[in-house]
Amino acid sequence: MAMAGPAVAIDCEGVGLTYKAKTGTAVNALENVRCRFAPGKVTAIIGPSGCGKSTLLQIARGFLDPSQGRLRFVTLSGEPAAAPAMATVWQAFNLFPWRTVLENVAFGLELAGVARADREARAKRALAKVDLAGFEDKYPKQLSGGMRQRVGIARALVMEPDVLLLDEPFGALDAQTRLVLQEQLATLVDTSGTTAILVTHSIEEAILLADTVLVMTARPGRIAAEIEVDLPRPRSLATTHDAAYGALFDQIYGLLRDEVVRAMTTEGGEA
Amino acid sequence: MLERPLTDASTPVAGSGWRRLATWLGEPKTLGWLAVAAVLIGWELVVIVFGFNPIYLPRPTRIVLALIEMFRNGGLTTDLLYTLGRVFGGFAIALVFGVAIGIWMAISERFNAIADNFIAALYPLPKVTLIPLLIIWLGTGGPFMLTISALGAVFPIVLNTLLGIRQCDPGLVLAARDLGATRGQIIRMVLLPGAVPSIFAGIRLGLGVSIILVVAAEMVVGKLGLGARLYLAGQVLETEQVFAVLIVLATLGIVITKTQDAIDVWLNRWRVA
Repeated sequence: MAMAGPAVAIDCEGVGLTYKAKTGTAVNALENVRCRFAPGKVTAIIGPSGCGKSTLLQIARGFLDPSQGRLRFVTLSGEPAAAPAMATVWQAFNLFPWRTVLENVAFGLELAGVARADREARAKRALAKVDLAGFEDKYPKQLSGGMRQRVGIARALVMEPDVLLLDEPFGALDAQTRLVLQEQLATLVDTSGTTAILVTHSIEEAILLADTVLVMTARPGRIAAEIEVDLPRPRSLATTHDAAYGALFDQIYGLLRDEVVRAMTTEGGEA
Repeated sequence: MLERPLTDASTPVAGSGWRRLATWLGEPKTLGWLAVAAVLIGWELVVIVFGFNPIYLPRPTRIVLALIEMFRNGGLTTDLLYTLGRVFGGFAIALVFGVAIGIWMAISERFNAIADNFIAALYPLPKVTLIPLLIIWLGTGGPFMLTISALGAVFPIVLNTLLGIRQCDPGLVLAARDLGATRGQIIRMVLLPGAVPSIFAGIRLGLGVSIILVVAAEMVVGKLGLGARLYLAGQVLETEQVFAVLIVLATLGIVITKTQDAIDVWLNRWRVA
């Protein structure tokens, strides 16, 4: 699962997004976002609800076009490059309920025309990596939330993406499941060497997983701060007892707190 | 609920046969069939005792004999096959067009706007009222029968396909796009399978209307088919034959309903935990 493509960075150059709400008023979701998602690194985006974190992820994915600025793919020497292969893990899992676990994980390969035997073998290996061997023939409804999200992770990893997009992947899970999955994901991302972009509400999750944390402002979303996390890897729950961890947590919380309060007190900020 | 364990525990060996019979008779399923038997026997006795004219009310035993006779020598099998062919032939046409139109309406706002008004006008119209017009246009042969049958089934199938696709979780479409699905693949591998339970609900409604319409059309114009048979038997006061055809139609209904129930369970296997 080593990075297949060339090392390509995703640069947001003054990205902004304005859309028309159903009421007809123009909503400024993102404003002048400048940031780099570096190859082989994990970048976390954290910010108050409705600040446009997920929107930024959709723009990076190419599902949304920015209304201002642009998105560029560049090699480390600054040459323009083709878009890297990406795969997303979703907060709502978005598993196909009528497909078995194996068929869900093999779906992307099936779309790409990979022969059945091959894609099923690869899907089985991906499932084994997330400790779900033996659950191939279950339907998503038969699994717990944590297991469903591991299927979601396997479905993305089997595509061997250059960039893994994590859209609040553990947001719908209970706190204990979350802790375990965070550690598992940290290991998977470390060993695969893939580029990852993580959108999250959780400061803990951001610090445990990321190399860089982007703190966003309340709407319109801008990058308020870019914080490097240089804690040693592998990181686990034990890392949270580290003094350096505490300092980072306080720094990010300090930045976020003001923005969250601002989001709560501005009209419609909680949406 | 409480009675059975109590009686079972205290039942002496001698009385167990009667007790078991009583328990068996009290089972809801047994009771259901016993009620049917009681009505038939009562019917038979009432006709004999009061000496009803069989033109008004024939005895059940005579009806069964007439039914057997019609199957053996009266060509009822041919009639049944004709009716089934018309119902399922028209229904198959409706299924193909209905699903296609439903998908198209779901993915194209323009086509939806075009089709919507026609459906709003045609869907509530009782389709039997189209029989005279269709006879003028198509005559009374196979094309007419297939058209009337298809017309009955197509609207519920269109509307349920549309509904099923609209209810599809947009997150699933996004996930499929993320994994590289083309527009065609999204329709075939996400929207359509997601809509299958809803489409099947449309099929259920549509098939029922098809049967009604084909039998009604056969009563109006047919020389062959269960509807024609029913009507002709009524004309010559062969009441036993009228009842016999009704039995065939009722049995057909039971078979179709039970088959649909079984398919429903299979289709929804991924819905239950």
